Amino acid sequence: MLLAPAVLAYAVFAFYPMIDVIQLSFMKWNGLNADKHWVGLDNYRYVLHDDPVFWVAFKNTLIWTFLSVIFPPLIGFGLALGLNQNIPGRSPLRALFYMPVIIAPIAVATMWRWMFDPFFGLFNSLLSAAGWPNLIQDWLGDRNVALYSVFIGYVWEVAGFSMVLFLAGLQGVSQTLVEAARIDGAGRFQLFRYVTLPALRPTITIVLILSLINSLKAFDIVYGMTGGGPAQSTQMLAMWAYTQAMQLGDFGRGSAISVVLLLITVAIVIPYLRWTLKRQEAYQ
Amino acid sequence: MSGVASPFRQAGAERVDPLLVALWIALIIVAVVWIAPFIFIIFTSLKSNATVMGTGAFSPPTSLAWENFTNAWRRGDFGTTVVNSTIITVIKVPLGLMISAMAAYSLSRIQVWGHKVVFLAIVFGTMIPFQVMLAPIFKQVNSFGLINTYVGIILPYLAFGVPYQVFILHGFFKEVPKELSEAALIDGASHFTVFRRIFLPVSLPVLAALLILDFVATWNEFAMALVILQDPDRWTLPLGLMSFQSQFARDYGQLNAAIVMTVLPAAIVYLIFQRYFVSGLTSGAVKE
Repeated sequence: MLLAPAVLAYAVFAFYPMIDVIQLSFMKWNGLNADKHWVGLDNYRYVLHDDPVFWVAFKNTLIWTFLSVIFPPLIGFGLALGLNQNIPGRSPLRALFYMPVIIAPIAVATMWRWMFDPFFGLFNSLLSAAGWPNLIQDWLGDRNVALYSVFIGYVWEVAGFSMVLFLAGLQGVSQTLVEAARIDGAGRFQLFRYVTLPALRPTITIVLILSLINSLKAFDIVYGMTGGGPAQSTQMLAMWAYTQAMQLGDFGRGSAISVVLLLITVAIVIPYLRWTLKRQEAYQ
Repeated sequence: MSGVASPFRQAGAERVDPLLVALWIALIIVAVVWIAPFIFIIFTSLKSNATVMGTGAFSPPTSLAWENFTNAWRRGDFGTTVVNSTIITVIKVPLGLMISAMAAYSLSRIQVWGHKVVFLAIVFGTMIPFQVMLAPIFKQVNSFGLINTYVGIILPYLAFGVPYQVFILHGFFKEVPKELSEAALIDGASHFTVFRRIFLPVSLPVLAALLILDFVATWNEFAMALVILQDPDRWTLPLGLMSFQSQFARDYGQLNAAIVMTVLPAAIVYLIFQRYFVSGLTSGAVKE
């Protein structure tokens, strides 16, 4: 049977853990020994009410997601619009902007951690060379700044991804329509507003949703740059779930956080899937 | 696309368009910002620690400290991590693509009971980040006694690679004319033969794109490896780099040499197979 290996692998190692995490979230268990027992809603009570870190992580995830849906797509859109024009050096430029996407996120984290180095890093060296020593920061060590510093590295990492999707969308804009509008005397901005932008609507939706979902995945870059610190100021839900389960040895609480995050993800994914399937059927 | 020979002109226009020139300059400025981190890392990787502390960030290294690379290789135990990453990637990537292609074929051609449900589950799977549930994955792998083994990391990698690949290939296989496969089936060919003789050859470009995307994704994966491969002898490159950073963060030259060595294989693959990346990414997401 051709379907079996894929379905089996998926069911055992992807689907089952997704169900299992719900069950685990009602248990007290350290992940290793046989002592595992039902505790009802205790984990949720702890996580949502007693745990001071959860809501910090929740807020950070919210800020992070919000920024991720705005900045990388916007930059990617700008780059794609530029690269879609008749200018020299398009291919090398496109290759360069996409390059960070294929680098291991953990390597991106290591790179940026070194660039943010308070003493010899790129940023502080540039600032002191430019004569603005008062702008020098402890980029990853200051709890008011750290989250945004990590985010700058993240923008560099992922903007190319949006750019490629937008470029593909722009290639799909009907040239006959563009020509027709131009002959009718449409100016550059009218063309953009009334032809290009409407044609890009599906692409924009796809990019926004993918950016949103990818932002919930941001684990490696935070883990590598700050590990959630200083003072939990860059802690996120995915990483806090990992920390609770794998480092503090409380699988129940870790799973409860995972369930909250899964619910949020599902709430975004389901409407998107319905939209995709509807579009596919219309396309056929 | 306005693929005219002379740059900076609107399609059909003679005049140089000043707005396009301005746009181009803006893009070049962004490009300089984008490339700066790479240059900084490469420069630092070739400087001794004393030079790093004594010279400016963008001053090129005066004498090339190649020993940073050999030292980082030795101290970071790159010999072990490169071998581990290679073994895992070389097994996982072709195997995963194989099972995905078989599944996509049967979903698009054979009417199995419940294939719609399977397909929905798969599409759903493309969207759920596994970073969200590392602990239950650990538990599942542990229950098979596969922590710290190659099989233990390859199986979940396969599981989480399947949805996206099946989704893309399913979309592609649907377009293969029905007559082609039905004629072969009537002539007595088995489904496996049809799959191997007709579907695989026509979908080579898509398969190549998926292969390369998956190579880079597997090579770079960190979070899952972090929970499943806890024994340093089984670490992959990203885990090795992370540990290097936490141990030798003050050996700037060597740290950056380690970054360069970790990034280089994926970067080379990318530069060689660039166009496949774009087609692999966009064939699924953006379809006109």
